[in-house]
Amino acid sequence: MKKAKLKPIILAGVFLLGAVGLILYIVSLFYGLFFILAAVALYFLYRWLSTDKETVIVEIRKFLKNLTIPVIGISAAIVIGAIIMLISGYDPIKAYRALLYGGFVKNWHISILNATPLIFTGLSVAFAFKAGLFNIGAEGQYYVGAMVATFLGIYLGMPPIFTIPIIFLMSGLVAAAYNYFPALLKVKTGAHEVITTMMFAHIARYLSSVFIRWMGGDSAGTHPYVTNPILDANWLPRFKGLFPDTNYRLHTGILIGIAVAIFVNYILTKTKFGYEIRAVGHNPQAARAQGISIGKNIFRALLFAGFLAGLAGVNQVLGLDHKLFENLSAGYGWNGIAVALLAANNPIGVIFTAILWGALDAGGQYMARTVQISNSIVEIIKGIILFLIVARYIYSWVGNRIKRRKQLASEGAK
Amino acid sequence: MGGFFSIFNEDLLVATIRLSTPITLAAVGATVCERAGIVNIAMEGIMIIGAFFAVVVAYYTGNPWLGLLGGVVAGALFSMIHAVATITFHLDHVVSGAVLNILSFGVVRYLMVIIYGHPGTTEPIAKGLAEYKFAVPLLSKIPVIGPAFFNQTPIVYLSFLTVIFFLIFLKKTKTGLHVRAAGEHPLALETIGVSVVKMRYLAVLVSGITSGLAGAYLSIENSVSFTEGMSNGRGFIALAANISGGWTAIGSWLASLFFGFADALQIRFQIFKVLPIPAEFFIIFPYVATVLVVAGLVRRSRPPKAVGMDFMIEREED
Amino acid sequence: MRSRKSKDLLLETKNIVKRFPKVLANDNINIKLFKGEILSLLGENGAGKSTLMNILYGLYKPTSGTFLLEGEEVEFSSPKEAIRRGLGMVHQHFMLVETLTVTENIILGNEPGKADFIDYKRAREEVLVISERYNLSIDPDAKIETLSVGLQQKVEILKALYRKAKILILDEPTAVLTPHEVEKLFTVIRKLRDSGVSVIIITHKLEEVKAISDRVYILRRGEVVGERKTSKVTKKELANLMVGRDVVLTVHKEKKEITAEPIFSIKNISVKDAQGLMALKDISIDVRPGEIVGIAGVDGNGQSELSEAIMGLRSLEEGNILYGNEDIEHLSTRERRRRKISSVSADRQRYGLILPMQITENLVLGDHDEPPFSKGINLSLDTIHSYSEKLVEDFDVRTPGVDVTAGTLSGGNQQKVVLAREFSRDPKFLLVSQPTRGLDVGAIEYIHSQILKMRDKNSAILLISLELEEIFSLSDRILVLYEGEIVKELIPEETTDKEVGFFMTGGKAKE
Repeated sequence: MKKAKLKPIILAGVFLLGAVGLILYIVSLFYGLFFILAAVALYFLYRWLSTDKETVIVEIRKFLKNLTIPVIGISAAIVIGAIIMLISGYDPIKAYRALLYGGFVKNWHISILNATPLIFTGLSVAFAFKAGLFNIGAEGQYYVGAMVATFLGIYLGMPPIFTIPIIFLMSGLVAAAYNYFPALLKVKTGAHEVITTMMFAHIARYLSSVFIRWMGGDSAGTHPYVTNPILDANWLPRFKGLFPDTNYRLHTGILIGIAVAIFVNYILTKTKFGYEIRAVGHNPQAARAQGISIGKNIFRALLFAGFLAGLAGVNQVLGLDHKLFENLSAGYGWNGIAVALLAANNPIGVIFTAILWGALDAGGQYMARTVQISNSIVEIIKGIILFLIVARYIYSWVGNRIKRRKQLASEGAK
Repeated sequence: MGGFFSIFNEDLLVATIRLSTPITLAAVGATVCERAGIVNIAMEGIMIIGAFFAVVVAYYTGNPWLGLLGGVVAGALFSMIHAVATITFHLDHVVSGAVLNILSFGVVRYLMVIIYGHPGTTEPIAKGLAEYKFAVPLLSKIPVIGPAFFNQTPIVYLSFLTVIFFLIFLKKTKTGLHVRAAGEHPLALETIGVSVVKMRYLAVLVSGITSGLAGAYLSIENSVSFTEGMSNGRGFIALAANISGGWTAIGSWLASLFFGFADALQIRFQIFKVLPIPAEFFIIFPYVATVLVVAGLVRRSRPPKAVGMDFMIEREED
Repeated sequence: MRSRKSKDLLLETKNIVKRFPKVLANDNINIKLFKGEILSLLGENGAGKSTLMNILYGLYKPTSGTFLLEGEEVEFSSPKEAIRRGLGMVHQHFMLVETLTVTENIILGNEPGKADFIDYKRAREEVLVISERYNLSIDPDAKIETLSVGLQQKVEILKALYRKAKILILDEPTAVLTPHEVEKLFTVIRKLRDSGVSVIIITHKLEEVKAISDRVYILRRGEVVGERKTSKVTKKELANLMVGRDVVLTVHKEKKEITAEPIFSIKNISVKDAQGLMALKDISIDVRPGEIVGIAGVDGNGQSELSEAIMGLRSLEEGNILYGNEDIEHLSTRERRRRKISSVSADRQRYGLILPMQITENLVLGDHDEPPFSKGINLSLDTIHSYSEKLVEDFDVRTPGVDVTAGTLSGGNQQKVVLAREFSRDPKFLLVSQPTRGLDVGAIEYIHSQILKMRDKNSAILLISLELEEIFSLSDRILVLYEGEIVKELIPEETTDKEVGFFMTGGKAKE
């Protein structure tokens, strides 16, 4: 009985400590980490009270086990990256020191700014993947979201408490609608979404140039460059107001990203929609035989994926740039794919992999500036990390080799 | 309106052939690859690798022919990563392809900074393959199609040979028959003693070579330098061409010609400003065409039965 | 008959062991094959017969053990070497490339012609020559996908003979054949023996062993449990060896009078198959509460189209489906299931279960969006969990927990999960297709008893099965399906399997 009373209090503690720690950590107050660790410890206490000791131990072990492949992959990539740097004549120790210091300490706010759009596009790709679909054109939906956000940001003059949610919602919906055609073609004709969404991404890319010109960009030259700025009132709130020491550009989009990731995770694991998406993703024929419509779920998955990718665009326009730049190879789509694959399509995992990606970029720039080692090495390290983590079979292959050798050795001993 | 119709002339056909060349090469590679059962969406990245190395080799040796070879070899080697990942390590084909595309952007940018000191566009090479344009005697004198097909640059001719070669390869040769069986019923092939793994490696290699060649075309024949992102979705359009062409070499070629035509047409529309609308509306035309053609034709023909599917025999205790 | 001098010894395995990650498939197998004999390997599903043959054929590598071919120790690292040494194998699932022609399939891997070019003309002639020599006439230019199953098997045999096979392994060769085709196949096999080819037949059918083979090894759970001359062994003895205990081949079924009105009626339906050909022609079936109606027939006579039409996965060209007093032919699969119609699919791994998902999730598949399993948009995870634990208990699913994925279960337990889901929703009408395919005797008995339990609970049951024995032991009425038509209705107590078999293969009633 005492336990039952204690549980909600502990849970509230978890959320409070977690949220406070998270915000502190985000604004570069790194002692926030202690709050986060305390929240994690409390959470396991809560689990212990609600079940039994063994289950908790199993859960912790499973959690740690899931981390092994990423840890091995990242370590191996760092080693390979070091070798490449040595070959190219750089000092890897100096490089990594700058990379880590820049990405995780000095320019942490840039890492967060880089990570935020990737959380959205990563969630977009991951969600579609759960339904067995590959939203390779997330970049296109990003542009659509960004265009709508810019348009509304310039013209929607109301109190921000109304406009910001409206802009997020509308931009997301239009970006979702942009994925309507690939979904329709997939259901009606069987045209593969890899091709259709990719082509739609190129189309959106070029349409954004037209849009920028229309919204105040350079109308004479071949490049329109940039739109007029959005209204000041429509900017996303920044952390600066609350934490005066933090970088002035750091905005609250990251919190929205994390909230959306938690929401997506909830949809996938706890609701009937998520259940149907996963069922169709794993075995569409069995799902259909038991009365789950495949077509309906293709629409749901691709439209929601479009919605999420669209939010990435809104986040950049309202939070960071406050205008839309012409940027024909921003790479949010491809990086979103990388982030989703790294996280094995787990929405919560996406938060962390997006931050890793963002930190590598930020650290790379810092490294280039301070120790004059080209930040393009980061692109290679990213590629290798991705490959070593995605190709999970390598590990079971190596593991089996070792097991087999041991078995043979023990048989030989007999 | 006289201006509008004046677009449809001999030059349009010449441009169609030129613009379709990289797509044709990659599409034929995609056909062989998918007939063996491997989906290769890494062709976009392989093209970029091929284009970059072609320029690098041509830049240092001063010889565009060696550049061509360099592009092909680089493309072939890069494609082998896809083969190892999908065939030996049983990674999902689409995932591996996506990862390779990402890796290609990184590799090229890194090497560009190391070699040229900056990202973006490389220094131009001294002499591009375009200077080796030659007319086939007699044939080039045929009205209309003569100049388009028989007065061209080297890789354009190579693309014709590629189409013919793989048309015969798939239809008439033993290896071609094995490749087709590997994509339809791999276990059937394995049980009569032909290695599915070998056939699939071979097929991926073919797609690597042709995509590398397509890349070399972009950088050292159609241009004299390499620019990041210069493949511009052509690897994906080539996939679409393969599908629209019903997984045959000749079909892939015809579909590629159509996409090349769409591109040639939009450039002309842009230049002659036939409609008073922004140029971007013309630029997107080939992409729209690709979507429509794939959507319209995809049901017409049947993909290889085992395409995209992993092949694994538990021969040992793996 | 044939003397067993050691010089006639063609093939011998020595202590073959094959261990897979989860099971010991072959445990110390020693068998011998003599020249010019027909040898059977008899065993249940999962006894290790196919594994052993795949080892011989070079597809698998044995964990330990060796085999001798004509007295010489050999180890094949690929089928290529096995083929070169005179082994040929006809797999249960045919190894034919459907889009290629008969000739292309036969020559695949051994194509005649200079360099890398195929000499199609010569290939065609060679195919004609061997098909004539063994009386296996076939159109060399036909595409495989246009051929019947029996003809495809001919192509498979020709494929082995083209490679000059001295040992021909046939894996479950009669599983997909009509009785008439089986007779023809046996004739071919005997002819092959007389021309000096040794034949190994892998089977789980006792009749087959008796009808065709000279000698038989019986396998159980990866071990050889006996070797007999077929002329000197009874079916009963074989059955006991195969299963390891006395088998009751028929379940106890109470006879009862069924007087109720039909609850489920199919009225004159016609359905097209995936190729657009008419697969069901003007079929009518009535099923009454508490009654099991068995559909007997050879595979490919419209069974899958019938079950798909009933569940709303395939549209009707004509006709109606009546459920109670309601026309349901326009309803979606979901709507039909909501009206307490249940279905056990013929292929549980493809259509019945989602293997990468948990048992809990599989047990509510299709009912997940209705109370008590969901509330608003949320799933009621606790309810689903306790429901699953009850079902796993009730249906005796052997599993470490309800949270493991369905893919980790054995075939029998997977089928129990499907049964648990479909039987526990109080279905008024129940469609059961091939409920025991690929299962061992223990699981078969259990599943049969569960189906009879549903009959006692007054469900109307339509049973589609390719196993005549199953039809006989469960059905109250038997309908024979042949080429998309119901050609005969019979009462099991008043007929014989011979008679049913006669109608199954297109025999006309002599009325």
